[in-house]
Amino acid sequence: MSEQWFERDPNWFKTAVFYEVHIRGFFDGNDDGSGDFRGLIEKLDYLQWLGIDCIWLLPMYPSPLRDGGYDIADFFGIHPDYGTVDDFKEFVEQAHQRGMRVIADLVMNHTSSDHPWFQESRTDPSGPRGDWYVWSDTDTPYQDARIIFVDTEPSNWTFDPIRGQYYWHRFFSHQPDLNYDNPDVQDAMLNVLRFWLDLGIDGFRLDAVPYLYEREGTNGENLPETHAYLKRVRAEVDARYPDRVLLAEANQWPEDVVQYFGDGDECHMAFHFPVMPRMFMSARREDATPIYEILERTPGIPSNCQWGLFLRNHDELTLEMVTDEERDYMYMEYAKDPRMKLNLGIRRRLAPLLDGGRDDVELLHAILFSLPGSPVLYYGDEIAMGDNVYLGDRDGVRTPMQWTGDRNAGFSRADWAQLYLQPLMDPVYGYQAVNVEAQLRSPTSFLRWLHRFIALRKEHPVFGLGSYEPQRTDNPRIFAHIRQWEEDIVLCVHNLARSAQPVQLDLSRYAGMVPEEMFGRTSFPPIGELPYLLTLAPRGFFWFRLRQTA
Amino acid sequence: MNDEGTLVEHVTHQRWYGAKSRQISHAQVLDSVMLPTTEPQYAIAIAELRYDTGAHDVYQLLHPEDDSFGVARELVSAMRSGLTLQGSDGIVELRPVLGFAGLGRELIDARDVGAEQSNTSVVFDDELILKVFRRLEPGVNPELEMLRFLTEHGFPNIAALGGWYSYSGGPLSATLGILQEYVRGGCDGWELALDELAEEPERFLGRLHRLGEVTGEMHRVLASDANEPAFCPETPSVESLGLLTATVDEEIERVFLSLPDEDEAVSPIAGRGEEVRDLLRQMTHAGFAGQFIRTHGDYHLGQTMWADDDWVILDFEGEPARSLTERRRKRSVLRDVAGMLRSFAYAASAVSLLRDTEPAYGWEDQARARFLEGYFDTVDPALLPSGQSAIDRLLAVFELEKAVYELQYELDNRPDWVGIPVRGIQRLLEETTTPA
Repeated sequence: MSEQWFERDPNWFKTAVFYEVHIRGFFDGNDDGSGDFRGLIEKLDYLQWLGIDCIWLLPMYPSPLRDGGYDIADFFGIHPDYGTVDDFKEFVEQAHQRGMRVIADLVMNHTSSDHPWFQESRTDPSGPRGDWYVWSDTDTPYQDARIIFVDTEPSNWTFDPIRGQYYWHRFFSHQPDLNYDNPDVQDAMLNVLRFWLDLGIDGFRLDAVPYLYEREGTNGENLPETHAYLKRVRAEVDARYPDRVLLAEANQWPEDVVQYFGDGDECHMAFHFPVMPRMFMSARREDATPIYEILERTPGIPSNCQWGLFLRNHDELTLEMVTDEERDYMYMEYAKDPRMKLNLGIRRRLAPLLDGGRDDVELLHAILFSLPGSPVLYYGDEIAMGDNVYLGDRDGVRTPMQWTGDRNAGFSRADWAQLYLQPLMDPVYGYQAVNVEAQLRSPTSFLRWLHRFIALRKEHPVFGLGSYEPQRTDNPRIFAHIRQWEEDIVLCVHNLARSAQPVQLDLSRYAGMVPEEMFGRTSFPPIGELPYLLTLAPRGFFWFRLRQTA
Repeated sequence: MNDEGTLVEHVTHQRWYGAKSRQISHAQVLDSVMLPTTEPQYAIAIAELRYDTGAHDVYQLLHPEDDSFGVARELVSAMRSGLTLQGSDGIVELRPVLGFAGLGRELIDARDVGAEQSNTSVVFDDELILKVFRRLEPGVNPELEMLRFLTEHGFPNIAALGGWYSYSGGPLSATLGILQEYVRGGCDGWELALDELAEEPERFLGRLHRLGEVTGEMHRVLASDANEPAFCPETPSVESLGLLTATVDEEIERVFLSLPDEDEAVSPIAGRGEEVRDLLRQMTHAGFAGQFIRTHGDYHLGQTMWADDDWVILDFEGEPARSLTERRRKRSVLRDVAGMLRSFAYAASAVSLLRDTEPAYGWEDQARARFLEGYFDTVDPALLPSGQSAIDRLLAVFELEKAVYELQYELDNRPDWVGIPVRGIQRLLEETTTPA
């Protein structure tokens, strides 16, 4: 009998805390210098302790790894560095036993050029897979589609000398786009989904979904055909696999992203990309306006859907969804060294972006956790790990997890030179200063703080389920809002300034109620008809639960 | 019972309904399964209650609830025949344990033996006891899992398992109930302690030595099968001590934060939270914690019974307040040992609170020593940290964890008992702050 560890709860993801894992960088279970599933299993107790509800795995499939595994060469296997399909199954089962779910990255838009489908397509144009990719005699169609990897790709078309035609690729030239106009491709991808769902996986993070179809005269993003196909995927999942989640990666403006929720019949979740750079912008400018504005611009979503919110992830801090002016500002403030820039973004981890300021890191987590959505943490950020801007591409934010102050940061027992990347050794963020073991033992560490903070958020479903109501005041340095779900009312007040700030909130609607600070459970003076005055420390914040007086 | 209001009314009036303070927003029957009887028609229902905080509970209902003896009798009979019954969204499987003699008998007299928070029990003819799990959690119930394992691996000091029934289907898969031999003429270990502590302390100390041996043997058996994944001993990860320290530390911080200032019973430790946390840090300096295995999980005198000149260990459900995955987790055996040691501290104080007599001077120290002597004689040393001082330190950590938990519990529920955990914490502070 296969044991089912979860009760049926189709909305579990709305109150979940997600954790993004780079398998290669997490823990090496077989001493070969590269992280793997056996290693990940050994660290599940740690993730459970931290309070993680769902683990998001970066691509784990066989791949030539020219794009961190997002160049998939076989949809039905596990990269040999990470283990076997059996190891993967064991991992999912072990995670489930600890009450955690697992979702995996899946790239539907394209494959690696090494994929047998592409090899067949380029060598046998009239064969059964001849039409599985987007081929053209010229490089002129679809000129309105932008180029995403501007640093490396001059065009979305690349000439293939073997077939003698151009093929279409929205990302790297070694990642040809699949042709979703071909019904066989649509079915093949559904088979891929079923394969992993049958192995027990709890869902997918769908990489680069806006680009599935191409149409002349459009920018090739968010086309109706793409939405229709995603709805078909959802219907298939709902029919056979309850309690699973589809999380869309659509780096778009909110009004375009909400299309991916459909009427609650497309993706369950989508990342809210534009809010992320604005949190950093607000912190730098000491001004809450960018956060208020982007949330105002965010339309409502169906009740069975949820935003995925994050501060940093495995990619560069993306600046696609900001204005040119805002981008210049971000580069100037957060990427002083040109090496820190990549494509339209900044390739740095959270702690170094904030100059290692503990108050700043806590404040941004508080804002992240207070917003309507489910927070997604990036491995290593829970111990405020650093980065290495001298490594190529995005490797600088993918260095080994720092477990201990011992050899190889406790990440691997392999030889130093054998490691896929060397752990950080600089005096500020190096593994002797920053590691899990030391932070676990130190009650005042960031890890311990975050652990308590996650527990606090999870005690209150209001953060996942409640309404959001901004409380703008005449002090622009304060970001304040109220979340409410049924009888649970929470007031969150954050000071973005580096100096202490007073704020007067109009809370007359809640007159007679008592704000109780949520960390220390201290009651503050009751709310009256007059403006409610609070004083906040530099980069300080308060979360209150508003309680009825007895 | 399709009407939501009737269902809410029905469930909330049951003794086993645990969430009395919560507001129910919805209730529904998720599945129901008919037992093969016609008049009266007996049935089991799986019902869900949703609370306005967003949480929900799943309960097992017996129908009709006012003839629970009738339903229980039918369940035992279906277990005997190994029936599988179909519901609308899942199945109920009822299974006997082969070779269990008690199943053959006719069930004449049934009586209720009180409901706990999450289950109800019926005793038949002082021979069999059927425990019905009311609040359901997905997964195998540890009680069933542990009893099966201990039975199969020849641990004699338990009440034999006779059968069980479980549900698997859309809403969840869960153990619904178990049938066990009823230990007749046994004497509850806690009551026995209170009786003998004052009158025949020496005799009880002898029994505790035996309890130590039985406990060590129980742990040896639980660690004996490397081929059973749910029981195979595990080497704890390098973080395990760190995770334990962090968890206990946060618990200490939380409890001391809300310690009442005016309570005299608390005064020996009032304001000493930081000292206790320092103590914890000293005690958890890195080292090998021993192999982790499945343990009893909620071990104290009240879970034991003296019958036919030996101890019977009962109730392998684990701490009811913890989640099922948490309760099935492999841990250090010293956690069970610490639980029992704390229970001796309770017994020593309870004699004066409940029986109005005083225990002999130094009784608790002797009780600890005798129990530990029996335990360390039988337990497999691979399950323990290496070296006596490392064992003592880890044992003290678990005692501290337990005492802090008790402190919160007594403050909330039994103010007269607060002195017991306070003395426990004080004792640990004094023992370990004396320079070595």
